[in-house]
Amino acid sequence: MTLEQLADSIGAAVQTPGTGTGIDVDQVYAGDRISDLLNAAGDHALLVSNLAGGHLTRVAELMDIPGICLVQGQTPDADMTAAARGHGTLLMVSPVGLFETCGRIYRALSQREAGQG
Amino acid sequence: MNAVACTIQGGDYAHGGAASQRLKEQLKKIGAEPAVIRRAMIAAYEAEMNVVIHAQRGEFRARIENGQLDVQVIDQGPGLPDVEQALQPGYSTASARARELGFGAGMGLPNIRKATDDLQIESTPGEGTSLRFSIRLRPSALYGEGRHSVQVFPERCRSCFRCLRSCPTQALRVHQGKPQVLDYLCVDCGACQRVCPTGALALAEPHAQLTPAPDVTLVVPPAALAQFGPGVPPQRVLDELEAMGFAGVLVTAAWEEALRAAVREWAAGGNAPLPVISPVCPAVVNLIETRFPALIPHLAPFLSPLEAIRETTAAKRLVFVVACPCQRSALLAGTLQPDRDIIPLENLRSAVAPRLAEQPAGAVRAFTTPQEVDTPPLPLVVSGIHEVAALFELIENAQAPDISVVEPYACHPPGFGSPLLSADPHLAAYRWRAATPAGDARATAVRRPGDYRPRPGLRLDEDMARAVRKLGRIDRLARSLPGDNCGLCGAPTCAALAEDIVLGRTTQEACVRQPSRPKEAP
Repeated sequence: MTLEQLADSIGAAVQTPGTGTGIDVDQVYAGDRISDLLNAAGDHALLVSNLAGGHLTRVAELMDIPGICLVQGQTPDADMTAAARGHGTLLMVSPVGLFETCGRIYRALSQREAGQG
Repeated sequence: MNAVACTIQGGDYAHGGAASQRLKEQLKKIGAEPAVIRRAMIAAYEAEMNVVIHAQRGEFRARIENGQLDVQVIDQGPGLPDVEQALQPGYSTASARARELGFGAGMGLPNIRKATDDLQIESTPGEGTSLRFSIRLRPSALYGEGRHSVQVFPERCRSCFRCLRSCPTQALRVHQGKPQVLDYLCVDCGACQRVCPTGALALAEPHAQLTPAPDVTLVVPPAALAQFGPGVPPQRVLDELEAMGFAGVLVTAAWEEALRAAVREWAAGGNAPLPVISPVCPAVVNLIETRFPALIPHLAPFLSPLEAIRETTAAKRLVFVVACPCQRSALLAGTLQPDRDIIPLENLRSAVAPRLAEQPAGAVRAFTTPQEVDTPPLPLVVSGIHEVAALFELIENAQAPDISVVEPYACHPPGFGSPLLSADPHLAAYRWRAATPAGDARATAVRRPGDYRPRPGLRLDEDMARAVRKLGRIDRLARSLPGDNCGLCGAPTCAALAEDIVLGRTTQEACVRQPSRPKEAP
């Protein structure tokens, strides 16, 4: 499932489109500690986090992470949006909290898998 | 090369990560593998953010050299009262602000340690912290292209398999009629080149021609001067080279002598376990780092003679005549370029031979036969890569307690057994000894800047779980093979074949000895 499709199916709004259009997400990491996200990062990963600061986009940039999902309907600050746009990271905002967002992602990905199998 | 050098401001969260970003760009430029870049970024970003979070300011310096990334981050800050404690997961002294931003999980230093091959932290409370880490740029094939200097010309191979048994580290395979040198095992000793009858294994290209120029100082090994037959003493060749229009010609023999003296002193100084092993031959150093890592403390910490010349000679441009693959690799670890600065022995020979034939030997300068100085302790000179390996096994088993200095050479006779030498090596060695040109007062031994390091072997897989599974498959497969190491499959041993099959270098059908093909156990 691509990042765009995933955003659509979990009801998240895409703030900045990524350059990695069409990248299939195969790893999702949720967390609020930069060190954890840094360690988990991969180039097919989506990070889900409460952290609406520029550091998350920096981590995405350094680790070639194609997508970030903020939760709880937070508005990313201008720095973050600019950085995401500059580096081509897809930035989406989910209207619900971290836990609920992860649940929706899980459902979306497993339905997709079931559909394929 | 210096990759990044910049200042980090404490508290400047907005620019935190900028130094890491610059490092990433450099690593991408040199073609580092994505997995390596990821590890470098984890370590660099954590180290950089540590300065932003905790210190007033810091310096971030990254160097890329000898296939390795070295990063140093020095800050002026509160320092760490207890480094060991700081390395424990979960320990953090970060401010509330840092924690709000997602930092201060106490995972920074543990993350750095996990992502790097070497980490050193020195800290003085109240002054600051110095953090240094290294990452080898090619985890699976550290000594990859350019790091060893044996090149394969597959179209010349006739599958005679002589190379398989000649290799002291089992670095060779001949699958599907093509020789393959496993980068992480090759020590550049040239043994395969010596036995290859068709030139399918040869000194790596590119290389330069002997082109005299007034700004070029030529560096030549004794073997290059002693290869022209009985009527041409080494001094004559030296004179001829000087007359061709080089700025100067340096003979490595004097640097070998300087190294010998330095190693003798090092052994006498009681700094290291005996016997002290001379690093005169880069291939032997590689052999120790690959197959005898337990002997690393025995290696005297000096550069090889060629490297010493490269590091200390104040010449405008140095061009090296090399006699063997290991010399080429050792020299290229610096900034020299093969197509400009490296001349194989044969290119010198073909350029000088016609001049030696044309001109009478009338103007030969006087030369001296040096007095052999037998300063104790007498070094044990051992030559031939297999003989050297056999001796190292004895040393490992503490069976050579009476030896204090070993001077090992991959080739036999020492320094003259190059596969590129066209003359008989023993005759060449004799002719050199019988008429050695005068020494060189500039010669000196040079301390090695970095430490010797054991070479990491092959990583079966970047992913640990997959690597373990592969290891299990190799093991099961090896047990199902005949086990007599016949070598007819193109791998030196059955165990090596099992690894080749699992890593996809060849197929199960390669084993010709079993009536029923080997089956991988389920």
